[in-house]
Amino acid sequence: MSKKLLLFCVAITLSLVSGCATTVPVTQKFPEAPQTLMEKCEQLDTIDQPNIVFSEFLKTVTKNYTKHHSCAKLVEAWQEWYTEQKKISDELNK
Amino acid sequence: MWIINWLPEFVVHLIFLAGALGTIAGFVLGFVPFVGKYKLPIQIISLLLLSLGVYLEGGLAEKAKWELRVKEMEVKVAEAEAKSAVVNTEIVEKIITQKQVIKLKGDKIIEYIDREVKVFDNTCAIPVIAIDAHNMAAKNQVPAEDKK
Repeated sequence: MSKKLLLFCVAITLSLVSGCATTVPVTQKFPEAPQTLMEKCEQLDTIDQPNIVFSEFLKTVTKNYTKHHSCAKLVEAWQEWYTEQKKISDELNK
Repeated sequence: MWIINWLPEFVVHLIFLAGALGTIAGFVLGFVPFVGKYKLPIQIISLLLLSLGVYLEGGLAEKAKWELRVKEMEVKVAEAEAKSAVVNTEIVEKIITQKQVIKLKGDKIIEYIDREVKVFDNTCAIPVIAIDAHNMAAKNQVPAEDKK
């Protein structure tokens, strides 16, 4: 009788203490990039008329350079965004 | 540990307490008639209960530790998200200002061209080939003869 009881108790105890698992339900959300950074770089202007004057030609070149500088700043902003976000993420996972 | 999540906390304490009291009774209070009669079963069950109780108490302590860590992590994540939002705002403000400055400078240069370069319009003819070269550069195309 006592042997059966002992076996029963051992079986119950073993079944209760088995299957230990711990999960941490905290996850870091991937940061959303600002909409301003998602804008595409503008297409460069071309000259459609063959008899263009020098100043108009130069203006088109200037506009294109302006577009390039604007796009370069956008790339720099992306690089800064990545560097800063990575720093924040690294601090969190330290 | 599923049993810890399922069992109320007081039950775990109760199991531990019952195990401890039973063990004391089984091993010390043998002279009491009832205990003396069921000494062996009391000892076995009490020891099992005590073992289970100790194990579950350990589990409870571990659970509490994990819950604390989860709370700490939640606070850290919230702080990181707030920092991230601040960085986003700063970058957006910076890029908008920079773009405005670039546009302003471009406009100034165009004004300068209108004012200073326009006078050379009649003396400086632009050959069609120069326009083609410019357009190819703008579209990132190669000249026709280089395509061969």
